Amino acid sequence: MTELWQTLLQAISQLASGDEHLWGIVGVSFSVSLSALLIALLPAISLGFILAYYRFAGRWVAISILNSLLAVPTVVVGLVLYMLLSRAGPLGDYHLLFTQPAMVIGQILLCFPLLVAMSLSAFQAADQRVLETARTLGASRWQAFRTLLFEVRFALMAAVVTAFGRIIAEVGCAMMVGGNILHYTRNITTAIALETGKGEFVQGVALGIVLLSLSLFMNVTLAWMQSNSRVLRQVS
Amino acid sequence: MRLRLSNIHQSFAGQTLFTIPSLTLESGLAVHLHGANGSGKSTLMKIIAGLQRPTLGRVERLFEVSEKDNRQAVIYLHQQAYLFDTHVRANVEYGLKLRGERNPAKVDEALAWAHLEQIQHRAAHHLSGGERQRLALARALVLDPQIVLLDEPGSNLDMTSMERIRQMLAELRDKGTGYVLASHQQNLLSQDCDHNWYLRQGQLVAE
Repeated sequence: MTELWQTLLQAISQLASGDEHLWGIVGVSFSVSLSALLIALLPAISLGFILAYYRFAGRWVAISILNSLLAVPTVVVGLVLYMLLSRAGPLGDYHLLFTQPAMVIGQILLCFPLLVAMSLSAFQAADQRVLETARTLGASRWQAFRTLLFEVRFALMAAVVTAFGRIIAEVGCAMMVGGNILHYTRNITTAIALETGKGEFVQGVALGIVLLSLSLFMNVTLAWMQSNSRVLRQVS
Repeated sequence: MRLRLSNIHQSFAGQTLFTIPSLTLESGLAVHLHGANGSGKSTLMKIIAGLQRPTLGRVERLFEVSEKDNRQAVIYLHQQAYLFDTHVRANVEYGLKLRGERNPAKVDEALAWAHLEQIQHRAAHHLSGGERQRLALARALVLDPQIVLLDEPGSNLDMTSMERIRQMLAELRDKGTGYVLASHQQNLLSQDCDHNWYLRQGQLVAE
């Protein structure tokens, strides 16, 4: 038990000291995951909107496929992407394997179905009168869409937080297509796996603290914003 | 402004809801649209407002003076007004912002007209039924519409609120704005209408 406490204290101390190596790994995680999230966000929300508001042949098939993709293990996504990007694969000529762009592509594939499914759910739960009210007050289609986004903003923010949490904490895909290269593709999760394998728990725990703190921060912020909105509604 | 409906045919799930060979609506008129529940009143109002396309036929907007913002000339108000998830004043400002207009004086005027100036910073979702209707009307009025379409505006309102809405509609008409009021029965608001339309068995009869 004492050893565990010592490890924890050393981890906190390492974080507080601003260890360049450690924070570099955190930087790779944030850079890759935020890039993936930003690239996937607008197309995913647009697709969620289309699936919620337009009726077309194959709509239910598309929704079923998206829902199925939610359950695909990250390591399977990594495996498929690895085969596509490897030298013998159809995308081998782009030399993307073991690069940060490969990790970004992998994380886009992981967060896209989640973002679509959660935004679809948000739009389906939205009041059907939102778009009609916006349109009758003179909104163009784009302005009405923006109004709808505002009305469902908290559900969409929850989708973003969940998707970011999923990709920054995944290890299977990042390990397979990133290759865990120091100062380049080594991120928080692959570093934890590596250090734990070597019996070096301090750095692993330090990086674990970063992940847990991030998750706590994002969820507390979201809850605070939602609660603030309710307070606003009650102010007279 | 004049609205002309030509050869409107509306069907739902293969069944004809209504057929209207020809109909004209002018700003400045007050019309009561009668019809039983399910007769298609709301659908017809949405077609007139341009929110829904009819199965067949067309709606033309004829502007006699100048064609101002066509999109804000005819405004449809739901039976239960949808208020944006923000405060009262921002709801009134919504349409003005869409056309890039900042006009605090006009917003103040609309809020005062609807007796909402004291609660302009209150969250819109916490208004009573009568306040919601007044806010919806103020949000429309601030855009100087030619025609307002009100879908069952008297439902779920007490007599005091109905009387206030009645006054507001009268004032709206004094400014030259016409309105169509849809309801399945006569009420305090419909008494002031000078034209009656009856939507019965898929046909519209105007009197």
